[in-house]
Amino acid sequence: MTKSEPTLPLTPAVFHILLALFGRERHGYDIMQQVKADSGDTVKMGPGTLYGSLDRMIEAGLVAKGNAQDPRRIYYRLTALGQTTLRAETERLSRVARVARRQLGSA
Amino acid sequence: MTRPARRKESRSLRLYARLLELYPPAFLQRHRAEMLQNFADLEDASASKTALWLLIGKDLTMSLIPHFFGSRLGNYVIGVVFTWMLLFIIGYFFYGPTPGRPVLHVFPGVLLGMLSLYVATRLHGTPQGSLYVIGVLVAAILVFTIGYFRYGAPGQPILQVFGGFLIGMLSMSIAIRVYGML
Repeated sequence: MTKSEPTLPLTPAVFHILLALFGRERHGYDIMQQVKADSGDTVKMGPGTLYGSLDRMIEAGLVAKGNAQDPRRIYYRLTALGQTTLRAETERLSRVARVARRQLGSA
Repeated sequence: MTRPARRKESRSLRLYARLLELYPPAFLQRHRAEMLQNFADLEDASASKTALWLLIGKDLTMSLIPHFFGSRLGNYVIGVVFTWMLLFIIGYFFYGPTPGRPVLHVFPGVLLGMLSLYVATRLHGTPQGSLYVIGVLVAAILVFTIGYFRYGAPGQPILQVFGGFLIGMLSMSIAIRVYGML
């Protein structure tokens, strides 16, 4: 079911996939490599997790199939809702990080 | 169906292709070719087979669980486990914490039997046509019979486990017929 409002918080897998797709279309293996790089090797995603998440994200309207022409690969891209959701989640995480820094600083 | 662009399929890729059959057919129809291609790419980039299979093992486990428990067959398995827990709790209050109760020995056998038949049906097609299932059934009956004649007592825990194994296989076979696979 496609929604018009971002649903937060996101799971780490969904957040990293959205981040990897920001600004360009990517195919599955490219997404996995980008997620690994973005997370500093802490999030290693396999094909089962990736395509399960992509199915749910397509259903939620966050991601859509891209237009790149490649007979061997399917490319994915962010939708407008995906971009809004990514920005909203990034803002939410920043707020949490600010609170955490403040509390750790005062401890 | 698009196949991974490699001159020769490795043994690991063939094994992965086999393991992919554990996913629901609709999911595979959408992603099988790409998942195989991704595995081939991961294999090429991986420094060791161990690291690759650790990643794939974790990925298969984590991604199959939601598929399985989201299905009617998965709900049936949850129902079986829940019923057993209920029986166990009732038994505990009536008979006390006796570790030698047959239900404790039978149930792990039931779960193993269900899991075994489920995996066999996923990998080998229908349970009726599967040599694997027939082999496991014959082996279980053989071990059960040998154990029975050797120990001569049906109350032996190992016999109860094997008895449970057969019940589990039968139970899953009926469930697959009624609910279908994922």
